[in-house]
Amino acid sequence: MTPIVYALFAYALTILISFLVIGIVVGINSVVSRKDAGRTRKEEK
Amino acid sequence: MEFLMALFPGIGTFFAQDPMIAVARLFLIAVGFLLAYMGFTQKLEPLIMVPMGIGMLCVNAGVLFLSDGSIGTMLLDPLVSDPDELMNILQINCFQPIYNFMFSNGLIACLVFMGIGARSEISFLLARPWTSITIALFAEAGTFVALAVGILGFSLEPGQAAAIATIGGADGPMVLFTSLLLAPELFVPISIIAYLYLSLTYGGYPYLIRLLVPKKYRGIDVEVYPPEVPQKSKFIFSVVVCGVLCLILPMAAPLILSFFIGVAVKEAEILPFQKLLEDGITYFSTFFLGLTLGILCEASVILNPVVVKILVLGVIALAVSGIGGLLGGWLFYWISKKNFNPVIGIAGVSCVPTTAKLAQHAATEENPFAIILPVAMGANICGVITSAIAAGVFVTTITMIA
Repeated sequence: MTPIVYALFAYALTILISFLVIGIVVGINSVVSRKDAGRTRKEEK
Repeated sequence: MEFLMALFPGIGTFFAQDPMIAVARLFLIAVGFLLAYMGFTQKLEPLIMVPMGIGMLCVNAGVLFLSDGSIGTMLLDPLVSDPDELMNILQINCFQPIYNFMFSNGLIACLVFMGIGARSEISFLLARPWTSITIALFAEAGTFVALAVGILGFSLEPGQAAAIATIGGADGPMVLFTSLLLAPELFVPISIIAYLYLSLTYGGYPYLIRLLVPKKYRGIDVEVYPPEVPQKSKFIFSVVVCGVLCLILPMAAPLILSFFIGVAVKEAEILPFQKLLEDGITYFSTFFLGLTLGILCEASVILNPVVVKILVLGVIALAVSGIGGLLGGWLFYWISKKNFNPVIGIAGVSCVPTTAKLAQHAATEENPFAIILPVAMGANICGVITSAIAAGVFVTTITMIA
C-alpha cells in the first residue's frame, strides 16, 4: 500500500472500530436500562 | 587546568566535549530551568513540567568523567543494551531501574493510563454518544495526515512516521507506547517533544478557536441532560469493550487493559483500588514519567537531526487535529440547526481534561451562562478511545505500507 492509501485505510479502520465500540456501549446501556425499568415497574405493581 | 577539570567535572566536561554538545548542554540547562519555572507559575502543566524541567537541568549539569574515561552521568544511560553491562549499571545509576523496568517496556505508559481510566467519567460519553465519537474522529485526522506527511514529505520510515503521528492524538501514554513498539530508536526525542507540545496545547489552541470560530458562535449554550447511567451498565461495557478491543487489536492490549481496568475499578466502587489508581499510581507514574523524560533530555538527544522533523511533524499533527475537531463542531452546528457550540470540537483532541476545559473557557468568555463542559467531556473521553484505537491500528497494520 502507498502511504496515502494506508493512511486512509487506517483512518477508515479506526472509524469502524470506534463506531463499533460506541454501538456496544449504547447497546449495553439500553439493555440494562430497559431491564431495570421493567424490574421497577414490576415492583410498583 | 586539568586539576580544576577533575575537581569540578561538571564544568570541566564542557571543555572536554565537542563544542556543539557543550552549547547544547548550556541551552538545555536554561530550558530545564524555564520549564520548571513555567510549571511552577502554572503556565504549563506543573505535574509534568516541574519534574521534567529539573531532570533536564540536572542531567546536563551533572556530567562527569566516568571510570572508563568516557563522559556521562550517574543518573541514567538509555543506550546500554548488553545484559552484563546493564546489570552493572543498574547498581550505579540511580534512575536506571526506573528506565529499564518501567520506561523501556511501556509499563509507565500503562500505569498513567490506569490512572486516566480511574478518573474518567463515562456518563458524559452517553449524553451524546454518536456526536462525541464523531467529533473525536474528526479530531483524530491530524494523526493520519501527519503519518502521510512524515513518510512522503520527511522520508521517515513508516514506523517512525506513525510513532510521531500519534502526537496528533494528544495522548501522552499512547505516544510513549507506540514509539516504543514502532520506533524505539526515536522513543526518547518523540516522548520529550510530545509531552512538551501537550503542555503547550493550553497556550496554542485558544488562538485556533478564535481563528476558526467567530465570537458570536463561541457563546452558544448547549442544553444537555446527562442521562442517569446505571453503574451496572458502565461496569459491563467497560469490561466488554476491553475484551472486544483486545480481540481486534491484541498488540495494543496492554494500553486497552490499563484504561478499562481503571474504569472498571471505578464503576465497581472498589474504593481501596480506586484510591490507589486515582492517587498513588497516577501521581507516582506521572512524577517519574516527567522526571525520567527530563533526565533523558541530554544534549546528544537534541542534536539528533531527526529532532527537527519531529518538531515540525508534531505541530502539523496537533494543528490538523485541532482544525479537524473544530470542523466536526461546525458539522454538528449545522446538523443540529445551530443548536450546538462549534467550540466543543476542540475537546475531541484527547488531552483530558485540558481541551474540554479550554472549550468551556472559550464559551464562558463570550457568554458566562454557556455550559458546554458535559458535552465537551463526552468528546474528550471519546478522544481517548479513538487515540487508543488509532495507536492499535498503527502497531497492528503498519507493515502494510510498501
